Amino acid sequence: MAKAVGIDLGTTNSVVAVMEGGKPTVVINSEGSRLTPSVVGFTPAGERLVGQLAKRQAVLNPENTIYSVKRFIGRRYSEVQSELKNVPYKVVPGPNDAVRFMIMGREYSPEEISSMILRRLADDAAKYLGEKVTDAVITVPAYFNDAQRTATKDAGRIAGLNVLRIINEPTAAALAYGLDKKKNETVLVFDLGGGTFDVSILDVGDGVFEVRSTSGDTHLGGDDFDKKIVDWMAEEFQRNNGIDLRKDRQALQRLTEAAEKAKVELSGALEARISLPFITADANGPKHLEMTLTRAKFDQLTADLVERCVGPVKQALADATITERDIDEVILVGGATRIPAVQALVRKLTGGKDPNQSVNPDEMVAIGAAIQAGVLAGEVKGVVLLDVTPLSLGIETLGGVTTKLIDRNTTIPARKSEVFSTADDNQTAVDVHVLQGERELARDNRTLGNFRLEGIQPAPRGTPQIEVAFDIDANGILTVTARDQQTGKEQKVTISGSTQLSKEEVDRMVKDAQAHVEEDKRRREEVEVRNHADSAAYQVERQIREMGDRVPANEKARAEQLIHEVREALNNQSPDFARLRQLASDLQQIGYALASSASQPQPAGGPSPGARPGPQPGAADEEVIDAEFKQTR
Amino acid sequence: MATETESSEVERLRQELGREHDLYLRALADFDNFRRRTERDRAAAAQREKRAYLLSMLDLLDGFDRAVEHLDEAPESIAEGIRVLHRQLLGMLEAQGVRPFESVGQPFNPEVHEGIGSEQSENFETGTVTHEARRGYRWGEELLRPARVRVAQ
Repeated sequence: MAKAVGIDLGTTNSVVAVMEGGKPTVVINSEGSRLTPSVVGFTPAGERLVGQLAKRQAVLNPENTIYSVKRFIGRRYSEVQSELKNVPYKVVPGPNDAVRFMIMGREYSPEEISSMILRRLADDAAKYLGEKVTDAVITVPAYFNDAQRTATKDAGRIAGLNVLRIINEPTAAALAYGLDKKKNETVLVFDLGGGTFDVSILDVGDGVFEVRSTSGDTHLGGDDFDKKIVDWMAEEFQRNNGIDLRKDRQALQRLTEAAEKAKVELSGALEARISLPFITADANGPKHLEMTLTRAKFDQLTADLVERCVGPVKQALADATITERDIDEVILVGGATRIPAVQALVRKLTGGKDPNQSVNPDEMVAIGAAIQAGVLAGEVKGVVLLDVTPLSLGIETLGGVTTKLIDRNTTIPARKSEVFSTADDNQTAVDVHVLQGERELARDNRTLGNFRLEGIQPAPRGTPQIEVAFDIDANGILTVTARDQQTGKEQKVTISGSTQLSKEEVDRMVKDAQAHVEEDKRRREEVEVRNHADSAAYQVERQIREMGDRVPANEKARAEQLIHEVREALNNQSPDFARLRQLASDLQQIGYALASSASQPQPAGGPSPGARPGPQPGAADEEVIDAEFKQTR
Repeated sequence: MATETESSEVERLRQELGREHDLYLRALADFDNFRRRTERDRAAAAQREKRAYLLSMLDLLDGFDRAVEHLDEAPESIAEGIRVLHRQLLGMLEAQGVRPFESVGQPFNPEVHEGIGSEQSENFETGTVTHEARRGYRWGEELLRPARVRVAQ
């Protein structure tokens, strides 16, 4: 089956995304990158290069390397006078005032050049998917007029693609963030890319998008921020060393690279270190550049660029005849929106709203296009919609802690089981307390149900094997079964609606757990120390009983003393946990010593219970864990 | 004998079963594909991470390359120490499969070269690399970093 792809055909870079297993994924191109430069080069040898390779030879072959074709597509020659002054390749008028590029004596239309980029993207996607790509959704800026849209569509057709639809970039971004499901909202899309800045205001309602206004700056982007850093570094260096690094092409290239790296670092850190050893040399020998750029300095250097974003946002609001208070959602698109000062500005301009942003804001347009392509190609229909459990599910175990069996956000239907045991000797029944929530202690979580499994054969604690299974079906109905593996006795409870919590309730419970994470961890550790100490005391006591007078008198006295101390500490509501841990560890050592001395004179001594709390690992099932039910009274 | 409503009910159920079965198979296939994709993605992610790390090591190596060019200005004992460090770093990278490749004298090839300028040259034919501003490296079979070069006009 042929696949449909989504293509963000950008001015500087392009991105292609596909639907895979119902989820949009960005394609990694043959050079291992997610971004493909929107550049086409024609070499003297007659070869045609697209993307990274074309970019690598651009400096050597400027007349025959076309970039920023998006600035020309669908426009009249007479309209692009200011643009063609900025490019080194030859732009000539064609029939009916059309734009043509003159390359080695042949004329190419912007549609043809764009088609080469589109073809390359589709080929990369096909290679990635291992399937032929025939259909595509291509994005264009919201301000593109009919001629520009038609030309983009034609470019797709020349590339051999069936263009399912041309959609607006801000609409694609809104789709990528799932805003199509919202009802009657006003969305502001702030798109600051490598070289262009677009602001759009959309009305979204039941899957319908309407562009209310657009504004922007066709020559403002992340590259301008890099240049500010380069200038700062070069000026500082010149002040100290009297050499202008910008005159040295090789040094300039290193500065530009270091500037971009520093900019990226400053999105996460408060300062970036720039080291360019041996950047140049004069009569006195080599010179090195080493500086630290703080975020504050970076913000100061780029304040005028950030300020240039204000006008278009205000303009877009005014054109849509709304104020910042009317905006329901804000979306950040484009790599440069990672810059903290840009984010702060957007927040300020939109009344302090938290924007929708992703780790890869430069990929959201392509992702939205892929989602649209998936819907149009009917691919999204066949997918089984699966739900997840909003909160973790588990049972209460010894000491009142929650032992989770199914973690939150597990896709359902799901089944999970674990083997537990008893906490006391000759315990004949266990209570299963089914819990929902993220907290460590049972009493802080929500009780979903309770039941009792009876008729367990009397046995020392830790011996019975009780399998507890959680099974949630596709409708969210949870069945918890407890089964005594020896007798086959079984008891169960069915709970419906374990997934039907309101979003607020789920959020509250998750937040609550996060707020108490430290405290819960400590409390859980305390319970574990208690359990461990109790179990160690029990095991050693039992060993002494079983070995009788073969236990050396001095060891016996010491063991009994320790057991006594442990029991005393356990009776205390708030014992000294450090001491209790030490006592338990000492007891455990004695237990090991006794076990080894017992095994020597008595080789057929039967299965020694050892000094471990809970069932022996590997005794019956790999899933046996160190947890026990609390005692049934 | 089945009445008309019963047989249409059977037909409806049969169709529904077919649909459900199709969905079931799709889910199975999806999962299988997902498993394969996850495996592939994990391997690719590990490769990418290592690649980024090796690339940052190349920055360091570039520094050494430049230092070595200036060693005649340093006392011999220091110079020798730096040469040893340089070789050690090269050796470490080589153990990871990273190897430099020669560019000067080769025809310019955008697969492995990034052009930063052109110049008149008496020694080289037009389109040949005359100068290497930054060495190029391969990592096993793949290109780790293109060489940055000047080319004869």
